[in-house]
Amino acid sequence: MMVVDLLIELLLMPLVAFLVGLVMVLWMRRLGARIQRRVGPPFLQPLYDVVKLFGKETQISHGVLHDIGIIMAMGGYIAAETLLPVPGMDGVAAYGGIITLTYLMMIPSLGLALGVGQCANPNGSIGISRALTAMLAYDVPFVIVVFGVAYHAGSANLIEIIDGQQQAGVAGWGLFEMPLLAIAGLITLQGSLGKQPFEVYVAPAEIATGPMVEMGGKYLGGLFVMQAFQFYTATVLYVSLFLGGGTNWIDLLLKSFLVLTIPVSVAYLFPRYRTEDLVRLLWKWPVMIGLLGVAFVV
Amino acid sequence: MEINTLDLLALISLVTVATALLVGGQGRGGWQLSLLYLLQLVVVASMVMMAGGEGIISTLQFSTVGESIGWRLDGLGLYFLLITVGTAAFVSFYMAGPWGEAYQRDGGSLRWLQVALATNVFTMLLLLASGDLLSLFIGWELASWAAFWMMALAGGIALKVALRYLIYAMVGAMMVFALIVILYGQAGSFGFDEIREASVQMERGTTILVLLLTVAGFGIKMGLLPFHLWQAPAYAETPGPGSAFLGAISSRLGLFAILLVLFRVVDGAWIELYLGFMNPQTLLAWIAVATIIFPTFTAMRQNDARQLLAWHGIGQGGYMLLGIAMMDPLGVAGGMLHIFNHATYQAALFLAVTAVIYRTQTSDLNHLGGLVVRMPLTFATMLVGIIGLAGLPPMNGFVSKWLVYRSLLEQGEVLLFVGAVIGTLGTILSVYKLLHNTFLGSLRLEHQAVREVPITMWMPMILLSGLILLTGIFPGVPLQWVAEAAASIGLPMPQFNLGGVIAEGGSLDMRVISGVLLSGFAIAALIFYGAGSSRRVNPLDNYAGGHFLYASNRYHYSNNFYAGLMHLIKPWYRGIFERLEQIILLLLAVIADLLQGLYLQRQPGRVALVVLVLLLWWSTL
Amino acid sequence: MSNSLALVIALPLLAAFLLQPLAQQLGVGREQRSVAIQLYAQLTIAVTLWITLMLGNGVEQQPLSVMMGGFSAPMGINLYLDRLSLLLLVATQLALLLLWPADATPRIHALMLLLSASSMGLALSGDLFNLYVFYELLAVATFGLVAANSSRSAPLISFRYLLISGLGSVLALSGIALIYSHTGSLNLADISATLQHGDAELPLAAFILILLGIGVKAELFAVNGWVPEVYAIISPRLSALLAGVVSKLAVVVIVRVLLMLFPHPEAAQVLLVLGILGVISGELAAWRAQDLRRMLAYSSIGQLGMIFIAFSLSLEFGMLMGLLLSLHHMVVKPGLFMLTAGKSKRWHMALFVLFALSLVGVPPLPGFWVKLSLLTGLVEAGGALNQLALIVFLGATVIEASYLFRVLQNTLPNPPAVDEGHLTVGWNGLVGVLLGGVLVVTTLSVDPVLEQLKQISSQAGDRNLLISSVVTPSAEQQMVVERDK
Repeated sequence: MMVVDLLIELLLMPLVAFLVGLVMVLWMRRLGARIQRRVGPPFLQPLYDVVKLFGKETQISHGVLHDIGIIMAMGGYIAAETLLPVPGMDGVAAYGGIITLTYLMMIPSLGLALGVGQCANPNGSIGISRALTAMLAYDVPFVIVVFGVAYHAGSANLIEIIDGQQQAGVAGWGLFEMPLLAIAGLITLQGSLGKQPFEVYVAPAEIATGPMVEMGGKYLGGLFVMQAFQFYTATVLYVSLFLGGGTNWIDLLLKSFLVLTIPVSVAYLFPRYRTEDLVRLLWKWPVMIGLLGVAFVV
Repeated sequence: MEINTLDLLALISLVTVATALLVGGQGRGGWQLSLLYLLQLVVVASMVMMAGGEGIISTLQFSTVGESIGWRLDGLGLYFLLITVGTAAFVSFYMAGPWGEAYQRDGGSLRWLQVALATNVFTMLLLLASGDLLSLFIGWELASWAAFWMMALAGGIALKVALRYLIYAMVGAMMVFALIVILYGQAGSFGFDEIREASVQMERGTTILVLLLTVAGFGIKMGLLPFHLWQAPAYAETPGPGSAFLGAISSRLGLFAILLVLFRVVDGAWIELYLGFMNPQTLLAWIAVATIIFPTFTAMRQNDARQLLAWHGIGQGGYMLLGIAMMDPLGVAGGMLHIFNHATYQAALFLAVTAVIYRTQTSDLNHLGGLVVRMPLTFATMLVGIIGLAGLPPMNGFVSKWLVYRSLLEQGEVLLFVGAVIGTLGTILSVYKLLHNTFLGSLRLEHQAVREVPITMWMPMILLSGLILLTGIFPGVPLQWVAEAAASIGLPMPQFNLGGVIAEGGSLDMRVISGVLLSGFAIAALIFYGAGSSRRVNPLDNYAGGHFLYASNRYHYSNNFYAGLMHLIKPWYRGIFERLEQIILLLLAVIADLLQGLYLQRQPGRVALVVLVLLLWWSTL
Repeated sequence: MSNSLALVIALPLLAAFLLQPLAQQLGVGREQRSVAIQLYAQLTIAVTLWITLMLGNGVEQQPLSVMMGGFSAPMGINLYLDRLSLLLLVATQLALLLLWPADATPRIHALMLLLSASSMGLALSGDLFNLYVFYELLAVATFGLVAANSSRSAPLISFRYLLISGLGSVLALSGIALIYSHTGSLNLADISATLQHGDAELPLAAFILILLGIGVKAELFAVNGWVPEVYAIISPRLSALLAGVVSKLAVVVIVRVLLMLFPHPEAAQVLLVLGILGVISGELAAWRAQDLRRMLAYSSIGQLGMIFIAFSLSLEFGMLMGLLLSLHHMVVKPGLFMLTAGKSKRWHMALFVLFALSLVGVPPLPGFWVKLSLLTGLVEAGGALNQLALIVFLGATVIEASYLFRVLQNTLPNPPAVDEGHLTVGWNGLVGVLLGGVLVVTTLSVDPVLEQLKQISSQAGDRNLLISSVVTPSAEQQMVVERDK
């Protein structure tokens, strides 16, 4: 029975993540609309988008690798969700821990990179070059944060990290135990979500020079799904590290949306950094704050 | 006299050298050599099966100049030997077929390349099976010279960089020479056990000296900073499969010897030694991290595929040392496992690059592109290889790096951890560039007719790829070998099973992780392909900057790939080590010229008289 | 029987003097005459070699000491043949035969005979004065050969060689005079005996003078300024002869004197310091050398420096180490020089690599075992200077490897030396092969060779044996000495 339960969990976790992720996309759009004094899209708009993109008649493939790239981008997150414990479901989190999760979260970016590379469009390649550079930039403070939290908890197992916080009560949350790391984590989150001011590689306003340049139909749909997963994974992970995870789903969702609100709001207030400035900024402030935070922990 | 498996192995190895001399030059005829390496592999494998305890002692023992020389193969040597012979088997198979014929057509001597390979394997066997310091040094010297031979074979630039290697290698060898005579002076014997006994009472200064000579002397071979400059050019210029062999295992011999001396020969008291600013363990770890970061970011700037890989080879050595320097179960397992993992993907990558060169005659990353449609198997190999090199799941490189990270986490070494991660991220960037510039993007006009390499070449590559994946999913198999190796030098090992490691505060089971990852891909593929069919277009069927692309347009974004990043970090590349090397050479040259001046004087008697007067004056004191 | 020891010196000497008149008497054509003279000269040396070997039969147990003219020890001319001198004699004669100059004039043949005689005398002399005389004779012979052999454009170099040789002679003579003034004797054994009884003490200055004097030929630091230029302009064969053989003779003479007369630690120190300086300067200069032969010449200075370092170690051990290094160099350096003649072929290169590997000390070639023993000895000896020597030794090896293997790049030109014609190039190669063969055979039989050399060096280093066999040849007198003690 155990195996069947686990299998159900493994299927359910990505599914829930996908759905919540779609709502998060909606939340981002609505929030942006509010800030810009617009109405914003209806509730089911993200779902419509997915259905529309996947259902398009004209699907242009630039080769097998183009397909595989998108599959890796989605599949990587589907796998990652099973390592991210949520209320009632631990999935396989005990078999990998946070380091594995961190690495699994890199796979979608690489899948995207492969797919875009196959498209033979120099503008796509430029976008990938920027995206990977950004990854290099935000992953450094990110691993410092992960290190600090894991070291503080005495475990690299996310289940134990969450349990530890929940047992210690609100005061035992990572946010209060390690405020500096929480701040660094927030800045990192901004980078990893690719939100302004760190969104030069996505460059939605000038699509000609971004990874998405050759993407249409289900290819773009795949990336849309990937973004939904990304919102979910990043915010839930942040909640798990600093806000005691979720004791139940409402708790978790509340916290996650709250966390998501911050980068999304910030995004609408800022312009964009150039690639090198992005690296400079992310290697300076969050790294310094993070290291200081770790110094308090160790 | 009864012949045991070690003697048998040495015999087969020698027969391989002889066979290489006889039939090595015959292109396709070289299959006998592959068979012989396979035979060696079988013998080694059987030894691995029966390993444990004291190891296998060769019946061949010498006694020369009053010192006895013997050979003994224990778990540690066996582990390295397995990798060595395995790599040689793959490489020789690759080399024997059409690649060898092409090599000969281009004026190379396949026979001598085969002989050099066989000699390398034999000398490495001698080194890995050394039973005392004397045989260790003999093996060390022979292996170093054999490597030099292999590097220098191609002549021209290869010889030039090989000569640079030679200087470094000689500096290392002389440090090792000093080490063994110093230890001999302490113990009066070259035997491991005798020295271990004597080293307990070694003075502080002597211990520090021994430590220094060990790490620096052997470390030169593994390209530890700041002795790393020779390695990348030398390996890159070695003829194709040769570079795969050297890159996979040759420089790891340095690590082998360091492990052997620090943990087996010398008493472990050096660990507690305080050097005034840090203890040796920390120092080693920092050297390791420096070795990870600097070469990795140098690799990122390379425009030649072989150079890029060779530079990464240096960087990956840092992870091995870093893990072992932690000296806790996870770190040791990670560091030592990485030796095997690195050998597999590095060999695969070098072979893949060699395959590209075989078809396109170039490894210049600015003159390739789009080859994935022409050489899919080579592409697959490189893809698997770079995922391994970057250390991402599900390939084997991930497992070893995970172990190292976990160890650093447990020890609270945040800076080392961050350093290691920066190395990994740099590697990801760098290897993507390698893959992108070679296989992705637009295909060049002159490469339209390129075909996949013949089966003798892709077979070993694909087999290696399979190995990288399989040992990634089932790391327990190589971990078993690692456990034997660690046991033979008294290092701790974590609890492990077929799928990974069981440890307090976070385990790893790669069977599960790979399972969910591959299932994730499968689900994504179902969704993706279920969503309706797509129309396949020519990769060139797109536009850029408002124009359609044509094959004649070289529209492949390859040069200065990470322009944004380089804009920021370019000033940080100071070439400090190159400059250091130049300064030392320059200083030496100035001194040498001054001394030469002594001999070039118009009146040579002047110097003589000065010395005479000085000496006479001294004698009256 | 024993008096025929003098024959070893006298025979080539006589042959040398007779050569010129003989050559004039020969009425045949130029070509035949040259062949006949060469045959005559080489035959003489072959006969000498045979005599030496006959005489050397018994020296394993008891060294052979001969008093010329029947005078006893302190007064008469004393010839002393032990295993070491026997080895040197045989090696020298063989080398002379192998490295005989090509297309030589009668004068050169005569000089070669003279060289043979003087080197014999040098190796056999049991007293300082004869040592000096034969040394002087050797200097004349080598200078003659150099001057006759070098290209005409380099008289200055020959002249400088002459100058520095002269300086060396003066220094050596002063040293010998100093010793005489202190002991009243010139016989080595006699002086040793006197010193052992504590009757007199020799000033270190005497040693320094002799050292620097004879050191000229031994390529000792500070008096070796002639080496690079001379080796660069003479034929490879003569270079091989001078670097390989003559220098070793001089070394052994110095060491004999040192070990027998100056057991002071200071003397060893001087040797050590000059050795270290020689290694540093020679090897570094070789590293910067612009052509192949100069490189080998500088390199040989460095090698000789290493030999001096070896000899400076404790008596018996140092003797053995120095001997080992000397013999190794005696095989390797001529081999290398011989390979510099003519266009390099692939097997030339292979042979060159073999010699270079042994010189650098790659196991299992003989060079490695020598270095291993020497380095362990240096560590055992301890002391700052020995440690410095160790470091210098190791550093020099690195530099050695660096410049020797640079040759593989084929970028080092050969300086214009005396052209030896096409036929002789083949002979040079053959000698190279022969020496390579010696190296390989030695590699395969390190232990027996080492055993022999150990005995030789322990015999040579045994001061009492020298005294007993020279000063008191009869058993009766020996007993008297023992009773006196």
